[in-house]
Amino acid sequence: MLKLVTCIKQVPMVSELPWDAKTGTLKRELAEGMMNPACKHALEAALLLKNRHGAHITAISMGPPMAEEVLREAVAMGADRGILLSDYPMAGADTLSTSYTLARAIEKECPDFDLILSGCYTNDSETAQVGPQLLEELNIPGATFVDQFEIKGNTIRMNRTVDEYLEILEMDLPGLITVSTHQYNPRYASLSGVEDAFNRADITRLGIDDLGIEPEMTGIKGSATRILDVYSPTTEKKNDVITGSPKQIVEELFAKYDDKIGSAIGKDLKDYE
Amino acid sequence: MDFNPCMKHKMVRKTVREFAEAELGPIANDIDRQASFPWEVIEKMRPLNFFGLQIPKDYGGAEMDSISYAITIEELSRVCAAIGLCVTVHNSVGAYPIQLFGTEAQKKRFLPPLACGERIGAFCLTESNAGSDAGGVETSAAPEGDDYILNGTKIFVTNGGVCGIALIFANIENSGPRPESRVFIVEKETPGFIVGEIEDLCGMRANPVSSLFFEDCRVSSKNVLGGSIPGLRIGLTALDTGRIGIAAQALGIAQGAFDASVRYSKERQQFGKPISSFQTIQNYLAEMATQIDAGRLLLYRACALKDEEKPFSAEAAMAKLYCSRVASEVTGLGVQIHGGYGYSKEYDVERYFRDAKVTEIYEGTSEVQRMVISRSILTQLT
Ligand SMILES: Cc1cc2nc3c(=O)[nH]c(=O)nc-3n(C[C@H](O)[C@H](O)[C@H](O)COP(=O)(O)OP(=O)(O)OC[C@H]3O[C@@H](n4cnc5c(N)ncnc54)[C@H](O)[C@@H]3O)c2cc1C
Ligand SMILES: Cc1cc2nc3c(=O)[nH]c(=O)nc-3n(C[C@H](O)[C@H](O)[C@H](O)COP(=O)(O)OP(=O)(O)OC[C@H]3O[C@@H](n4cnc5c(N)ncnc54)[C@H](O)[C@@H]3O)c2cc1C
Repeated sequence: MLKLVTCIKQVPMVSELPWDAKTGTLKRELAEGMMNPACKHALEAALLLKNRHGAHITAISMGPPMAEEVLREAVAMGADRGILLSDYPMAGADTLSTSYTLARAIEKECPDFDLILSGCYTNDSETAQVGPQLLEELNIPGATFVDQFEIKGNTIRMNRTVDEYLEILEMDLPGLITVSTHQYNPRYASLSGVEDAFNRADITRLGIDDLGIEPEMTGIKGSATRILDVYSPTTEKKNDVITGSPKQIVEELFAKYDDKIGSAIGKDLKDYE
Repeated sequence: MDFNPCMKHKMVRKTVREFAEAELGPIANDIDRQASFPWEVIEKMRPLNFFGLQIPKDYGGAEMDSISYAITIEELSRVCAAIGLCVTVHNSVGAYPIQLFGTEAQKKRFLPPLACGERIGAFCLTESNAGSDAGGVETSAAPEGDDYILNGTKIFVTNGGVCGIALIFANIENSGPRPESRVFIVEKETPGFIVGEIEDLCGMRANPVSSLFFEDCRVSSKNVLGGSIPGLRIGLTALDTGRIGIAAQALGIAQGAFDASVRYSKERQQFGKPISSFQTIQNYLAEMATQIDAGRLLLYRACALKDEEKPFSAEAAMAKLYCSRVASEVTGLGVQIHGGYGYSKEYDVERYFRDAKVTEIYEGTSEVQRMVISRSILTQLT
């Protein structure tokens, strides 16, 4: 039976959360959490595999204790097991230490996995880095933004769209894919699934001691990036009025703006001089 | 005492809300206008256990607790009360009496098709001369060998036009001066089971409420619910649970009207400002929110008592009495906040306003609820 791991992140339900200017983090406590939409598509892809071929699905999430919610939701939708990585030293992780921690947990709890499915990106931080970093950590092949895939034997064949071209790839398992939101529309959890997710679900909570990792390697300490400043981008509009004869206007326009015009049409205008 | 919803109840709400908004939201106004029953949505609801909410797992249900049940009905009704009605009547007075009073054979036979929604349930007590006075039932059941022959007319049957299994209250013929009442489980294919015309109602129009006629309808004694249990006892017990559902429905309608009103009051500009900046409108919103919250606390208290297997009849009646009044008042204020647009079918509040009223009428009128409540007060030992 296929052994699948889906990586699930809890994100705030509202699209615009205020930032805490002091710490540079989102004020997450102000909003209810929800399963990140792309993670839900990844889970749906795993559930379809389970429906078709039979599979055991582990849903794994790193986050605060409340992230248990999205694991229960995953179980309500049909995942078999949930693992919550939650511990004080894990807080404030960037993508590097998130993927490091996820990798160590997967090695420990699901060493014989066939396929890891993660979302292509999250709605709150949106780096799209965790999937690729995770496959590097685990030293396995992978593909990102997969629209659709099929597994035959030990091979996975995937469709992905790149710049409006359809790309078809194959790779050996075990591997990792990040799933796009184009296909695999998530199912609704059934109400009996929700009941089961609370009454008889297998949810494990693990901390750094359980994983045997050093506090320096995870959370904010294990992070290679630091947020220096956070601000909302501001856009300013300024009108620039060019006067003169049409010829003068055009010449002045190009003299001033050939960089911008060039990048808008994808050509370096200097080549034409 | 813990007033915070637990993680499970939050998830039930989220799950049902997501479904209702996506699947019922876009069609709720149309099916109301066309008085059509949305089979295609019912099809999607079946595998999600909407028709087996409290039925035990062994019979294919979700085996939910009562607060989860109330939340489910609330959230469906917040978007589409007619389907909230279909689901609550099916579950609380259609299936639940079988679960509670049925013999093992009856449970095995009837609960699974109800639980998966293959058959929709109905509850048939009301007749032209038996409304609030449930004892006035005239439908008769004449014993004949191992069977009974049913004759009579039931009116105002929720789900009447689409039901697959109906519970029929009837009196056994020649059983003495005080007729013995029984509940018969009747399947719609039974010869002599005739569906009347769909009622042309003020609200709940997407629910095919109809009369049912029984003309020499032969039913096996195996279908007498619970064997020799008096029908009236089954009916009153069923209605206690039913009232939790109607209170939840009323609350959902009120919540839907309230949410729409908050949105509208922020958008609608008069005198150069959103109307939500006027103190009168703010007062309306405060009043609506307070009533809804109070109703919800009453309702969840009744649910908690039921799950603790304590008496909850008076508490369910209080919840039903209060939440149905809240539904009428809040939807009235909702129309008021929308002004002329609220009186137009273009806006959802017009539908909520029409749907709300009947929650004060069915499964015991508000007057009857007061009778239930006062009886419990006056019979208490002091
Ligand atoms: C200095 C710094 C401090 C931060 N502090 C915080 C903080 O305090 N709290 C906080 O929540 N975030 C914090 N973040 C954001 C944090 O870096 C990212 O949320 C996290 O690393 C995942 O990145 P992403 O959301 O961009 O995921 P992406 O790479 O866009 O996600 C792709 C996929 O990876 C998987 N994935 C991502 N994150 C997780 C996870 N946690 N568990 C399981 N699967 C996952 C999912 O499948 C997801 O769909 C901080 C970031 C920085 C740089
Ligand atoms: C949309 C809809 C769906 C329904 N669905 C069902 C269903 O599925 N199954 C079912 O069996 N029935 C159903 N009913 C019927 C409903 O339960 C009855 O209409 C209700 O019980 C009231 O009965 P009635 O209409 O005969 O009114 P009546 O009993 O005639 O009452 C008329 C008025 O007199 C008042 N009144 C009556 N007796 C007293 C008293 N003793 N003291 C003070 N006031 C009194 C009532 O409160 C009411 O205000 C439905 C009705 C509607 C409108």
